[in-house]
Order: sequence, then structure tokens, then C-alpha cells
Amino acid sequence: MNANEVSYFSMLSLVFLIVPVVIINRKLSININKKMFYSIGRMVIQLSLVGIFLQYIFNINNPIVNFSYLVFMIVVASFSTAKSCDFQIKKFLAPLILAFIIPNAIILLFFNTFVTRLDNLFNAQYMIPIGGMLLGNSLSGNIICINNFYKAIKQNKNKYFYSLSLSGNKIEALTPYFKNAILASVSPTIASIETIGLVALPGMMTGQILGGAIPLTAIKYQIAIMIAILITRYFSAILSILFTGFKAFDEYDTLIV
Amino acid sequence: MIQFKDINLSFDDKIVFENFNMNVLEGEKVLLSAPSGKGKSTLFKLMLGFQKADRGEIIFDSKRLEKSNLAYFRRNIAYVSQDVDLRNIKVWDLIDEIFSYKYNKHIKITKEKIMNVGEYLNLPADIIEKEVSQLSGGERQRLGLMICILLDRKVWLLDEITSGLDKEMKEKVVDYVSKQEKTILIISHDKIWSKNDVVRVEEW
Repeated sequence: MNANEVSYFSMLSLVFLIVPVVIINRKLSININKKMFYSIGRMVIQLSLVGIFLQYIFNINNPIVNFSYLVFMIVVASFSTAKSCDFQIKKFLAPLILAFIIPNAIILLFFNTFVTRLDNLFNAQYMIPIGGMLLGNSLSGNIICINNFYKAIKQNKNKYFYSLSLSGNKIEALTPYFKNAILASVSPTIASIETIGLVALPGMMTGQILGGAIPLTAIKYQIAIMIAILITRYFSAILSILFTGFKAFDEYDTLIV
Repeated sequence: MIQFKDINLSFDDKIVFENFNMNVLEGEKVLLSAPSGKGKSTLFKLMLGFQKADRGEIIFDSKRLEKSNLAYFRRNIAYVSQDVDLRNIKVWDLIDEIFSYKYNKHIKITKEKIMNVGEYLNLPADIIEKEVSQLSGGERQRLGLMICILLDRKVWLLDEITSGLDKEMKEKVVDYVSKQEKTILIISHDKIWSKNDVVRVEEW
């Protein structure tokens, strides 16, 4: 039930196929050869390090280490969110970490308990890839959600103020922006759930099938993970607004980010 | 009832208010008259806490504008902004939303009530079925005024609510506003306001 091992030599053989790409690029003066090799090189180094590291973690398979690795990924995701949303790290890192860790940890443990029914909930083989998928999705979801929310308020400053004058309550005045942001965050996931499998096999299924699982098993996992992704993304988006919202407005309810 | 005390405010290098003082008594109708850029609209924003003064204080019903009183200010002041900044949804949904806010819930809004006010303001009968973006500037201004009327708060801040109206409508609105038992602050370039003898003109 294992995939055919890929030897280093056979991996190198792919490089031969890049040669014509390089030549054509040069002839047509498409200026991407350098960039292409840089990114391939970077990928090789990055993935090698991750591979070695994961191999090591899988070998010890210690619950605390596994969970710490997940937390580490969450901190990285929070940094990356803060950066792409132009947030001050110092102020917003903690709320973002909370917004990631609560739904991701709960859904992941739920998944491992009731879907995959693991004896060891913190088994690296499940926790890390599944946690990674959930997290990756809430990462893009939160970035969309946060950007959408704060940009809309900034662009519609006067409308927001007018609502504030009508309501006198920040929460009520912000609700429409909140709804829109959540919608923007989960819509892509709902759309991809709708068309999944028709255009391309999703990565998880592909991996499982290559790993030797039968398609029916792979499909069950895929369905379960898609639902888990949707739920995680949804709650993570809500929390990301709630938690950052405490620090993003001043005492007069004016946006200060 | 409303007091501005020694307000100082500047944007970048531009001084907008320097030791600005103004008193408004209960029930007064005051037209704010000053050249453009002298902070008329800003004065409204200061009162609602959308803009903070560098120095000075604002008193309303013997309450000082600060965090703990902010909600009192916002809930007892009805504000019609210059561009009537309404979100683009159906007018009825908008009104429905506004009157579902906790503080406005006690006001019972019926389509009939809206029609009545709308009719006085010459708004088309089907306006509640339209989207905000479909309204003309003048219709938006009157819609803003209508919401303000329905909210029935004790202080009204009206920022250029007649600029897009024809002469007849301007007169009607001025007449309506001047007869209210409310405390009303008005910003307008329309001469018609200052001709009304109920309206006190405050110049700076």
C-alpha cells in the first residue's frame, strides 16, 4: 500500500524536460529563466528541510511535539495574516493566534475523534497533514475576511458614521460589514466544494490514491475534510473579526488601523 | 442645552477652530454660517464623536462628551449628513434595519407612517421599493430628512438638506423644520433659511 518510491535520479530526469522550456524562453526572450530556477531551487531546499523535519517528528510521534508543531504553524499563519493585512504585529498577533487556534484545534480534535477515530488523537500522521489543510484554508479565509471588513469600513467611512449616529451602537453599525466579510471568506470554499472532483482531483485524494488507498476511501476522507475546512474557515473568520475588532477601534468607535 | 467650549482643532497645519464657543438653547433653530472649510460639518462630527477636538469640551444636556456619554449623544441626536450616506439596499430594508436597532425599536414604523411623511416631502409612493442608488440626490436628502423625522430625537443636525431641492420644496422643508419643537442646527448655503425669522444665524 505504498507509492512507488521516487529515486533521486528519476527526479533529476524531469530536469531534462525543463531544457526545452529554457531554450524557448531564451529564443523568445521571455524573461523568466532566472526566476524559474530560483523558485525551483527554493522549493527543493524548503521541502527538503520540511521533509527531514517531518520525518523526524513522525519518528518520535510524541503528542506534545506534534501539538507544538501545530501551534508553531498557527503562529506562522498569524504572522502572515498580520503582514498581509498591514496590521501591527505587536498589537494583533495575540488576537489572530486565538482566532486561528480555537476553531482549528477544536475541529481537528473532533475530526480525529469522530471521523478518523484515532486511538491517539495527536498522531502525527493525521494531526499534521489534516491540521495543515485546515489551517491553510483558514489562513486564506481570514486574510480575505479581515481585508474585506476593514477595507469596507475605511472606504465607507461616512456610511459607517451615519449608521453609528442612527444606532449609537458600534456592533449594530458594523453588522453589515461583518456579514459581508464572512460571506467573502467562505464563498470560495463553498464554490470549490460545489465543483470538486469535476475539474481536478483534489490534492488530498490524489495523495491518498498515490499512497495506495482505494478511491472510495479517498473520497470519504475528501468529503470529510471539505466539510471540516468549511466549518473551520467559517468560525476562524468570525473570530478573526471579533478578536481584532477589540483593538482596531478607539474609544469613540473610530477605526484606527 | 448644547455648549461648545473653547474648541480647538487643526488638521495638519490648518487651524479649523481656535477657542471656538457656541451656545444653543433648547428649541432653538440655528443656522451655521461660515465660509467653506471653516468647519461647519466638522462641528457636527465633533458633536457625534466622529472627530475629536484637540482641546475644549462639548456639553449636551449637562453631559460632557466623553466615552461614557458617547451613546447618549449619538442616541439623542438625529444627523442628516451632507451626502446622506446610506448603504445601497432597498429603502424599505434600510428603514426596517434602522428601526430594528435596539435604541430605535420602541418606535413603531408602518408603511403608512412612511407614506404620510413621504407624501408631505413629495417623495414618490414607490420609493420604499427602490434601491438607494436609484434615488436622485434630492430624493436621498428627503429620505434622510424622513428618517430623521421618524427617529423623533430631540436634537437634529441637518447638513445641506435643501441643496438638491427645487424652490417650492425648499420652502416646504424650511417651513416644516422651523415649526418643530426640536433643537435644530442647520448647515446650508440656501438663503431661504436665514430669511426665516425663527432661525438664528450663528456666524464665524
